[in-house]
Amino acid sequence: MRSLARAFQKYTTELNRASNDPNIQLALARAVKSYRENTAAALKRFPHTVGLAEEVRAIKQSAVERMDDLVARAREAIEANHGRAYLARSAEEALNLVADIIGTGKIVVKGKSILGEELEIREYLLEKGNEVWETDLGEFLLQLRHERPMHIVSPSIHVPREQVAEVFTEFFGREIPPDIAAEVGAVREFMREKYFKAHFGLSGANVVAADCGALVIIENEGNARLCTAVPPVHIALVGIEKVVPTFQDAMKVAEVTWRYANYPVPGYVNIISGPSKTGDIEKVTTYGAHGPRELHVIFVDNGRSEMAADPLFKHGLYCLRCGGCMYECPVFQLTAGYFGYRYLGGIGAIWTAFVAGGLENAAPLIYTCLRCGRCVERCPVSIDVPSMIAELRRRIAALAY
Amino acid sequence: MKRYLIEVKKMALKLRGESSQYRLPPTVEVVRGNIIKYGNPLGLSGKEIAGWASDLNLPREGEVLLYTGGEYQLVPYIDGLVDMLTKVDQGSVGFSLMMGFRNLVDRVGVNPEKIVAGVLSGQRERYRNVSRQAAAVLQRMGLQICYLGEEELYSGALLYEYGFMDDLRRHARKLAGLIKGTGARTIICLSPHSAEVFKLIYPRIIEDFHYEVKTFTEALWDLCNSAPGRLVASFNGRVTVHDSCRMARELGITEEIREIFKRIKGVSLIEPEFNRRWTTCCGGPGKVLFPELAGKIAARRLDELMSTEADVVVTFCPYCLAALDKARREGQRSIEIQDIIEFMYRGMAE
Repeated sequence: MRSLARAFQKYTTELNRASNDPNIQLALARAVKSYRENTAAALKRFPHTVGLAEEVRAIKQSAVERMDDLVARAREAIEANHGRAYLARSAEEALNLVADIIGTGKIVVKGKSILGEELEIREYLLEKGNEVWETDLGEFLLQLRHERPMHIVSPSIHVPREQVAEVFTEFFGREIPPDIAAEVGAVREFMREKYFKAHFGLSGANVVAADCGALVIIENEGNARLCTAVPPVHIALVGIEKVVPTFQDAMKVAEVTWRYANYPVPGYVNIISGPSKTGDIEKVTTYGAHGPRELHVIFVDNGRSEMAADPLFKHGLYCLRCGGCMYECPVFQLTAGYFGYRYLGGIGAIWTAFVAGGLENAAPLIYTCLRCGRCVERCPVSIDVPSMIAELRRRIAALAY
Repeated sequence: MKRYLIEVKKMALKLRGESSQYRLPPTVEVVRGNIIKYGNPLGLSGKEIAGWASDLNLPREGEVLLYTGGEYQLVPYIDGLVDMLTKVDQGSVGFSLMMGFRNLVDRVGVNPEKIVAGVLSGQRERYRNVSRQAAAVLQRMGLQICYLGEEELYSGALLYEYGFMDDLRRHARKLAGLIKGTGARTIICLSPHSAEVFKLIYPRIIEDFHYEVKTFTEALWDLCNSAPGRLVASFNGRVTVHDSCRMARELGITEEIREIFKRIKGVSLIEPEFNRRWTTCCGGPGKVLFPELAGKIAARRLDELMSTEADVVVTFCPYCLAALDKARREGQRSIEIQDIIEFMYRGMAE
């Protein structure tokens, strides 16, 4: 037991500092403006998305009801595709599985994964004596700054180009101007070598189809494509709530996700169902052609089953991680990911309570939410965050008194 | 005096012991404690809350109950308390001692938050008058209303907000008993927070709580339809509406106010970019725990409303009114901010 009052005090100081930080305010103001404009344009260009989002809510609702069954089916499908599939009930189990596969002294290139943040996988693998590189540009920047993500889609949303230039100049040991194209170019040059030297590629997945075992990974930079295709072994970490019944369902979820994440269409959509294979010589299927010869998919529970068993909180598992709610949250607009722990914003408070952090770490976030409901308006699957926040406050108050 | 100092010392030691336990911030405890003990979040007396109606002779029984919940009356005190909180480190020994002092002096019937807040409050008259003006507008529209007077209790919305459901149940039973005693069938709530709690929470936790619950805006709209000639409003200029989160999203009330404005000659309604269900929050709900942040959120919302270049912003929630008006004062902005009640009454007064 510890004093929530003290935790609140420290947290409030951080929130206030963030809201007074001109860099954070500048970056957030630019990002919120762009998000709103881009999303409006994307929804205008593809107006069917709003109806599709309703369909996706129904898909997620039904999938969460039979999550265990769908995970079992997805595992069977991946194994049938010559991949390896595992189920980790806890964070510790998940980390042990990854450590068993990777071992020590290896080079790992990693794509963006909020589940990776939940498990603190990079830190864990570094402790085990591996070299780990974040390949998403925003995540790479945060790795260099020793910071945690401040947004689930745009993790370095709070860092303006001027500060990016300072960090890169120091890291690369040469002058990098505060010009976005130059900054991107420097990272591209550095990372290319890492992809080809890496022993392992690590990724998450946006959605998984149970019927065929296909993982769908949405991205723009092409880094996830390189991480998952170039190293000889690909390890994917997937939350068990990400599985939907069919490939068609998965594509619907993916389309709604990217559209509400501010893109008319993403740069790349990767579909991965097993190791690289070829049948070009005598029609004999042989694994390990140009891409990885091994695919390991680790499904992670770590509190999700508990959420699914709760009639109210199971709705939290519908989250597509588009990040739209955060851009519309009045608190997030001022404080970025300081209103968060591993997961961010109002929905993040709920995930923190159940999955990554526990009720004590979630408590300050739970009391920060204004319960204004703007997130519900933006959410493509209408997750009722304010009701869940009210219930969590009731649980905290019951513990405190 | 020596005895009191010893008590203060003991209290400080006790608080130091409590700090290792799973407890919520002191301000939340203050609000909770006051609702339990005094019936409202800041421990105001019934006399202070009902002072606005002292010479109106409103009956205690009737078909339609005007329910203020003391919220407009409380708002300037909350602002005073928040002003104080922004200057005090809530984790400091000084703050802990003050909270201990509160408990101590409570025993002799004095409430220091009230004193401190009262000293800093410069807006009491305005907010007391909102309740008075609400009664006047409803009566002018031909409605007979009753009022619980000094017995009226706060709705308990903050107990719900902070998660104290058991306390809310006990508090709600007291209030429900009082409301039942009026014989009313309809409750008109001045604050959307009260309306929300009565509409959505009380029926779940109190047996036999079956009333027609209306916000002031809904009641006004109904009266406009049933007695159209009695709508007295006078304004020539541009009006913009700040939809409160509770009204627009929780209660789904957005169009009534706009229909009312359509019936007022001279009003030119200009919508802010974020309106109706897309309204942005005034920051009010975060005021007690995160006052600095709440102030910034209010300032941002005010900027959005000011970009309409309206002459007046109309709100329908005491907390929105207070938050936005504070942002206006602090930012020395020229726009006028009024509650719908004040806006309607101004027509009557002119």
